[in-house]
Parts: sequence; structure tokens; C-alpha cells
Amino acid sequence: MHAEVTLSITPSRPPFTQRFTGFVARHARDAVSVLILLLVLAPFAWLIQMAFRPAADALELNFQFTPTLDAFRDLWQDAFARSFGNSLLVSTLSTALSMLIGVPAAYALSRWTFRQRSHVALWILCTRMAPPIAFTIPFFLAFRWLGMLDTVWALVVVYLTFNLAIVIWMMQGFFDAAPTALEEAAWLDGCGIWSAFWHVTLPLTRPGLVATAVLCFIFSWSDFFFALILTRTQAVTAPVAIVNFLQYDGWEWTKIAAAGTLVMLPVLVFTALVRKYLVHGLTAGGVKD
Amino acid sequence: MTRTTYLYENGVLVPRRKLLTSALAAGAGALLGFPAIATSNKSLKGVTLNTSLYSSPYSKLLRPWIAEFEEATGAKVNFDTPGFPVYNQRADLELSTKGSAFDAVNVTFIYSSRWINSGWLTPLDEYIADANKTPANYDVKDFLEGTLAPERGTDGKLYGIPWQAEVTIAAASRFDALKQAGFAFPQTTQELEQVSKALNRKEGAAGFVTDNHYGWTFVPFLHAFGGDVFRKAPNDLYPTLDTPEAIAAADYFARLLRDCGPDGVVSYNPDQALQSIKSGRSHLSVQGQINLSQLADKSSSKVANTAAWGLVPKGPAGRFPGTAIHGWGIPVGSKNKDAAWQFIRWATSKEILQRAVAAGYASPTRRSDIDSASYRDRQRANGFDIAALTIDSIALSAKQGHMKYRTVAAYPQVDQQLNKAIELIVTNQRTPEQAMKQAQAASIAELRRAGVTI
Repeated sequence: MHAEVTLSITPSRPPFTQRFTGFVARHARDAVSVLILLLVLAPFAWLIQMAFRPAADALELNFQFTPTLDAFRDLWQDAFARSFGNSLLVSTLSTALSMLIGVPAAYALSRWTFRQRSHVALWILCTRMAPPIAFTIPFFLAFRWLGMLDTVWALVVVYLTFNLAIVIWMMQGFFDAAPTALEEAAWLDGCGIWSAFWHVTLPLTRPGLVATAVLCFIFSWSDFFFALILTRTQAVTAPVAIVNFLQYDGWEWTKIAAAGTLVMLPVLVFTALVRKYLVHGLTAGGVKD
Repeated sequence: MTRTTYLYENGVLVPRRKLLTSALAAGAGALLGFPAIATSNKSLKGVTLNTSLYSSPYSKLLRPWIAEFEEATGAKVNFDTPGFPVYNQRADLELSTKGSAFDAVNVTFIYSSRWINSGWLTPLDEYIADANKTPANYDVKDFLEGTLAPERGTDGKLYGIPWQAEVTIAAASRFDALKQAGFAFPQTTQELEQVSKALNRKEGAAGFVTDNHYGWTFVPFLHAFGGDVFRKAPNDLYPTLDTPEAIAAADYFARLLRDCGPDGVVSYNPDQALQSIKSGRSHLSVQGQINLSQLADKSSSKVANTAAWGLVPKGPAGRFPGTAIHGWGIPVGSKNKDAAWQFIRWATSKEILQRAVAAGYASPTRRSDIDSASYRDRQRANGFDIAALTIDSIALSAKQGHMKYRTVAAYPQVDQQLNKAIELIVTNQRTPEQAMKQAQAASIAELRRAGVTI
């Protein structure tokens, strides 16, 4: 005869103080997150609401106003559309050219060994080592001599010189991380160097390509300094056009806000579309496999 | 063989045919309501003039009328009018590299001495003296002498034709509240402080506001207390920012801003200061008349019916309104100087400036415009004559010569030191004495770096 023993295991609840501090910690984290989010979004919200205000109430500190599209209408009459188009054209062209030239260059630096390879890479980075103002006068004089001031191509060339360094250095890292075995297998299957690069290596580094292209686009899109110095009337970009609303007899706040809102859109749309790749691309290589 | 008959015009012999053409053009111009160009019609055919002026009421008025100049002369005019900071940056770079991108530019007041005395602009005296290039009816003497003075170089030559005269004046947004509190419009620095303190935070408004370009807004007070920027500009450029008078002025001005200004007043740019008083969020202000005259604009000002205007307050040493003159000049690198002069002459002619004044232009430089009934009538608001304030201020400036500090090429560097000093005092980071001594030492270093012998 033996006695039957029943063991019931009930999970022990943590003491109240522990539960309370856990609750507070969890919600404090949420509260801090919300606070940070508000701090980040507040300037954008302020800018957007100002864009829809009547000009006379632009700087009022209340939200009691009848929204109007006057500022956006005025923008179009001020030929802001042309500046916006110039920005799009310059940013797209310079990004496309940077990728077209920079990606093969990065691939070559990654895959081939040649004398002074590290020196070449360092020289490429030189354009990013000095502040932009150091290049201003030489660029200005060179383009004036070439008769290229106030042209879209002058800006494309300038942005290209700066973007190439970003593309080559970023993409070289991605190519270094991509396994060479797959390329070699492709060669064995009859692919040439370019074919293997196109069909095998590039798809592997797609997140890197996207992240690099986005960074190039943002740099070109938001540049004010070079556009200010190298343009006059024909090739003026959106950032310079916005500063033109700082008039001698007053600042056109609602137009500045409306233009600022419009200028944010392409970058927001672009980054939203490629977010998946962007996060991957920017964090790739963070952990060594 | 053709025979040419010559006739006298303005003391020179002119071919009869040319004279008749000019007369016809003048007649046509008068009929069509635009000034005739003195030279023969289409004389600038094939010439492209690149002109630039910062965006302003005058440039906005001028833009649609340029077609008339083009029609009369045959020239093509590119008229670039960027915002003020963009214009200055571009013009400074273009002029300093002696480029030929522009044929006619604005001589910005804050840079005028640097641009003129560095030899980056073309002297205009020979154009004015040449009756072929400048007919007598252009009448340079019609421009107020006080507006011509800043356009002259240290060599005495004229480098710019003034198109805008700005002066610092005082204004009250709620003159009704001021009178209710038992005050008259403040005439002295002491009264200004007294009224600002009494009205501060009353009716939901700060007592006093001005913008943070203290190298411009503080200097009338510096002068009023008997101080100055330099010992004797333009000949003796030893800075005098640490004198007892300068320290007293800085103390007074900073106290006014700290005790009576809106929150964050040291960050207020000219437009924010204007909006603050225009919306009734500040009671009193000392700023440029281009800004403060906008208080009368019923479409954008909430204090149009209660605003009042006066001269800058008088201090122990007197009254010293600031004046800022902007003019048309010809870059030394221009390849179309004669054509550029023709354009400038047209853009600053009596007819064009009269037309601008008739269309509401509020900062004329010609005596005939300032004295005109249409201008004087428009410059009256709530019983105050803003035009008279402008004229009196320019006259005071010309008589006293206190704006000579602005004719110093290296003044922009000292200007920065004044901005910094006042900000440090208002924010209690330095005492007035410490801040002004620091500004003095930094200014001496900056001037020496700029090659000034002290």
C-alpha cells in the first residue's frame, strides 16, 4: 500500500512591490518614448499648421484659424515649382550618376588587389574631409570660367564629387561582406565578370544600394550652400528659393512653411518606399557573423 | 553726300536727326506714360543687361515696368531679385572676384563701404557729368544729400544712385493704452524706459521690442548717450566701445530688453520684432521705418487704428536716428557699363520714382517725391506724419554725420562684436562693463586683422 501524493505547482506571484515597479518601469518607458516622439514631431507639426494659416496670423500662438491654401497658391505664382523641379532633377541626376560610377569603382576596390589600393580609397575620401566652404571659391571660379554658372549641370557635377566618396566607401563595405564563393560559382557556370556582378553580387547588396542612394539623394536634395553660390535664376533649387522668401520688408512665413512642407515630401515618400532596405542597409555589418 | 545738321542740347552738339528722334521718343514716352530714354530709340539692340537687386517693394514695382525700358532701347534686361541674404552673399562673391555676371547691382548699405572702397564698383561721376549720357532733367541734385553721402567713396566720388532711404524711428502699437496710462509718446530715452516699464505685460503685451541686429538697433542709443563706435570715423578708427558713455548706453539698452522685452527677445530677428508689434504683442519699438510704417497697413496689422510714430528717442547727448541707404551701382567687371548706366538712370529717373511713389512706394530718395502731396498724404496715419519723421531723420543724419561709422569697410566685424556684447548683457552672462570691454578688445583685433592701422 502506498500513499498517493499529488503535487500541485502553482506559479508564485512576484511580490506587489516588484509588480508595481515593473508596471511603472514599463509605462515610464512608453511615456518617455511618446515624449521623445512629440519632441521630434513638434517642429514638423508646427511647420505644417503654419503653411495653412492666413499670412496675417502666421506667428500667432493659437490654433484658432481657418485653414487656407493661399500660401501654396502664392508659391506657384512665385515660380517655386521651377525650383522644386530643379531640385528633383539635380538630386536624381547626381544620385544616378554617383551610383553608376561609384558602384563599379567600389566593386573594383573590394575585389581586386593593386598597388596603392588603400591610398586610392583614402584620396577618394578627401572630398569629405574638408568643410564645403573650402571648395566654394574654386568651384565658383571654375564654373564661371566654363560658363556653367546657373546651370543644373554645375550642381550635378559638384554633388557628384561629394556623393562619389559616399558611394564608394559605403558600397565597398557591402561588397566586402558579400561572399565571393557565389561569384566564383557563377564564373564556373559560364558567367563573365560583369554578368556575375550584375546577376549575383548586386542583388546580394541591394539593401546597401538603396541605403547609399537614399543618402546621396538627401545630400543633394537638402544642399543650400553650393546652390546659393552657383545658381542665379535658371537653376535655383528649392532650399535657395525658400531663403528668397526672407524679404527686406518682412519674412513670408506662410510661404516658407508651405515650401518647407513640400520640400519634405519627396524625401519622406522616398524613404517610406525603401524603408525595408534602408534599415537593413544601414545596420548591415553591425554584427560579425 | 549727306549733310548733317547739329543742334545744341544740354550744352553739347547733337546731330539734328538724333535730336529729333529723341524728341519723338520723349513725346511718345510722355504720351504712353513712361520716361523716354535720352539716346536714340533701340540704341541698345542686341545688348543683354544682367541686373540684380534684393526683393523689395521697389523691385516688385520696377519689374513690370522694365518691359518699357526694353521696348524703348532694344536691350534685354535680366532682372534678378533674390531675398536679402541670398542677394548679399552672391553680390559679395561676384564683386570681390571682379566678375562680369552683373551689369547693375544694388549697393547694399551694410557692405557699401567695403564694396566701394575696395574698388569693386565703377565711379559714376563721369557718366553724370557727360551730357550725352545724362541729360540735365535727370537732376542728380534732386536726391537728398543725406542719401548721396553713403554712396561716396573715401575718394569723394559717387559710386551709387540711391533708390531707398531707410531710417530708424520709434513706434507705439497701442497709443490709446499709452495715453490711458497717462503718458505722451516717449521723446527721450528716460521716457522710453519709463513708459516701457509701466506698460510691460499690460494688455498682454511686452513693453519694448527690437531686433537682434544690435550693430544697427543699439547704435542710435549708443550715440544718444554720447558714445560712438570709433573715435573719429572714417579717419581715426580706434574703437570706443568701452568708454563710460558706451557702457552706460549698453546697460540702458540691455535693461530695456531684459526687463521690458518679450520672452526670448535676444533671438528676435527683424521680422519677428515687426510681427510682435504689428500683432500688438509689444507696445513700443525702435526699428527701421520700412518695418514700422507697416503698422498702418490695415490688411496685415492688428494695431492699424491705434499705432503712433515718433523720432528715435533723444538721449543726454542728443537724437541720432540711424539711416540706411541702398543704391544702384555698376560692378567694375561689367562689360556693358554704358548700357548699365542708361538702365540705372531710367530706374532712378524722376518719372519712374514718381510712378513708384504713386503706387505706394514708401522710401523715396528724391526731394521732389518726398515733398509730393501723394507721398505725404499716404504717409499720414492716425494723425502722424511718417514722411516728416523720415525727412527729419535723414536731415539730422546728414547734419550730424553720425552715420560715418558705417562708411568703415571693416565695420561688419565690429557690428558682430556689438551683437555679441548686447546679447551677453541681456542674458546676464556678463556685466555691461565686461561685455563692452570684451567687444572693444575683439574689435581692435578684428580691425588689425583687416589691415586697419590703429
